[in-house]
Amino acid sequence: MIESRHADIAIIGAGPAGMAAAVRLAEAGVHPVLFDLNATPGGQIYRQLGNPQVGAGVMGEEYQHGRSLVEAFARADIDYRPLSRVWWIGRKGTGYDLGVVQHRAQSWHAERLILASGAMERGWPFPGWQLPGVMTAGAAQILLKQGALLPGVSPVLAGSGPLLYLLAWQYLQAGQPPALVLDLASASRYRALLRQPRRAWHGRNYLLKGVRMIAALRRAGVPVLLGVDGIQAEGREAVERVRYRHRGHWKTLPAALLLTHFGVVPEPQLARSLAIPHRWETGQQAFLPERSEVLAVEERLWVAGDGGGIGGAINAEREGRLAALEVLQSLAGKAQDGLARERAALQRARRRDLEARRLLETLFRLPGDWLEVQPEDTLVCRCESVSRGEVERAITQGAAGPNQLKAFTRCGMGPCQGRQCGESVARLLAHRTAQSMDAIGYYHIRPPVHSVTLGELAAQQET
Amino acid sequence: MFRRSPHACQTASQVQIRVDGIAVSVPDTLSVAAAVLQVHGWQGYRRHHDGSPRAPLCLMGSCHDCLITVDGQPNRQGCLVPVAEGMQVERQGGGRHD
Ligand SMILES: Cc1cc2nc3c(=O)[nH]c(=O)nc-3n(C[C@H](O)[C@H](O)[C@H](O)COP(=O)(O)OP(=O)(O)OC[C@H]3O[C@@H](n4cnc5c(N)ncnc54)[C@H](O)[C@@H]3O)c2cc1C
Ligand code: FES
Repeated sequence: MIESRHADIAIIGAGPAGMAAAVRLAEAGVHPVLFDLNATPGGQIYRQLGNPQVGAGVMGEEYQHGRSLVEAFARADIDYRPLSRVWWIGRKGTGYDLGVVQHRAQSWHAERLILASGAMERGWPFPGWQLPGVMTAGAAQILLKQGALLPGVSPVLAGSGPLLYLLAWQYLQAGQPPALVLDLASASRYRALLRQPRRAWHGRNYLLKGVRMIAALRRAGVPVLLGVDGIQAEGREAVERVRYRHRGHWKTLPAALLLTHFGVVPEPQLARSLAIPHRWETGQQAFLPERSEVLAVEERLWVAGDGGGIGGAINAEREGRLAALEVLQSLAGKAQDGLARERAALQRARRRDLEARRLLETLFRLPGDWLEVQPEDTLVCRCESVSRGEVERAITQGAAGPNQLKAFTRCGMGPCQGRQCGESVARLLAHRTAQSMDAIGYYHIRPPVHSVTLGELAAQQET
Repeated sequence: MFRRSPHACQTASQVQIRVDGIAVSVPDTLSVAAAVLQVHGWQGYRRHHDGSPRAPLCLMGSCHDCLITVDGQPNRQGCLVPVAEGMQVERQGGGRHD
């Protein structure tokens, strides 16, 4: 029997939320253990910022903003464990047992846990999205951050959300502008915006930034098409053509690389594997774990950052700090007078920020009927190659929920464990059975939430 | 194919790895999947068990379309494994590996 290692506090994720939580705890003399998948800290936004591969002029201010946090994280006394996959969590006593693979398997017990596992890009089916040559905008940005890698061909960018425009702008700065930007957000969004002048005012900084980026792209001669409502990738061994529908007409364009982005949603696996209740949030168009005002989901479990709902990097950092304050209070066993003002200020700023984000949600809202109008043979589940038609037939034959559907079609049974298809399946079920997303729910997620090899498990590390 | 930007900071050291037996030199900050995208591009990255061609989609650990053989171990998530000196990488072009 291998004994498990003990930690008073464990944090999962070294993005802005996890880093800020760890730094704040270390300031108070408490030393958490922190597990993260990547080789260096930073999470999604600040990836590779400790050893940047591209200059500030290309990446923009938001990337640079993380510098002080990454530096504070490097200085603080934290048991930071990079390249560590947390592959299961279970409740044990008043705390949590964790299965971790860091080269070899380890087991841990943590008295208190902060989940800061962040977000992922939304899986959003369209014909040909499984072809080599289709990648997400986030993936392309990871190549830029990790190794200053630029595409050797002019890419087509398509989708909706700030990250799409950020990447287009970064490619422009790097001297590799995209061939074309196709904006697939709902056509009704400007009308929706006009109905919400107060919201527009709160989010004016976001608006301004977006307008500036689009203007810079257009000045450089990059066509930005709004109101595109269909996209397809075609080719045999890889993408050869991109088709898109604009103003009711399909157009075809030779292209080898299509970079897509359809917004980000919380990375669901760890919270789902603990069966934490979730609810569908219509603004974000995503299932979010239910958290209290102080980010608690259980007495000794907090969810901080984009893993609890999309608020962006600055908000994630704040939420990390807020979770740290809650942990400190929980350790002390009573309210800490000295922390009350800090907490109130963080909460005020958080509310203001989240209010401003609502504008982005309106602006980048994806069309709600997207899936139903995709051709029948469009893959919904990439891992098991299950098409929309097959999913719909299983629903007609009586598959009543996501888990039955999985058993009927193998949808969601592959190695990604439904990360790419979970939302689509729930949407199709909700549409077909005329129920709410909450009534439909989501797959039951069981460990391992990350693949572990038998070799890794066999090589259990001595404690 | 992806290429290193002429404006890249000179802060990465190079490591030598073998991709399908051929030695190549890549920045040590890359993941295995990123290195293969730099050396070979997305075409020919992997064949899925249904016979269709596949390549990395997300590069952050969620899609599992980057599966690749690293030092003899098949089906590693190439986007989560950093390159290391002397590493042997093989693309899974042949179909079934599970
Ligand atoms: C690909 C991508 C690119 C993005 N780029 C930008 C950008 O340029 N600008 C911007 O403003 N926003 C960007 N975002 C939005 C981003 O979600 C937030 O800005 C911010 O990074 C959220 O911070 P966080 O701390 O909540 O989570 P993240 O920064 O996502 O950090 C979460 C960390 O947890 C780790 N993790 C998750 N699960 C496990 C596990 N089981 N075991 C161990 N570790 C785990 C992840 O590897 C990651 O390092 C991006 C999002 C994505 C998905
Ligand atoms: S590319 Fe998506 S998991 Fe590796």
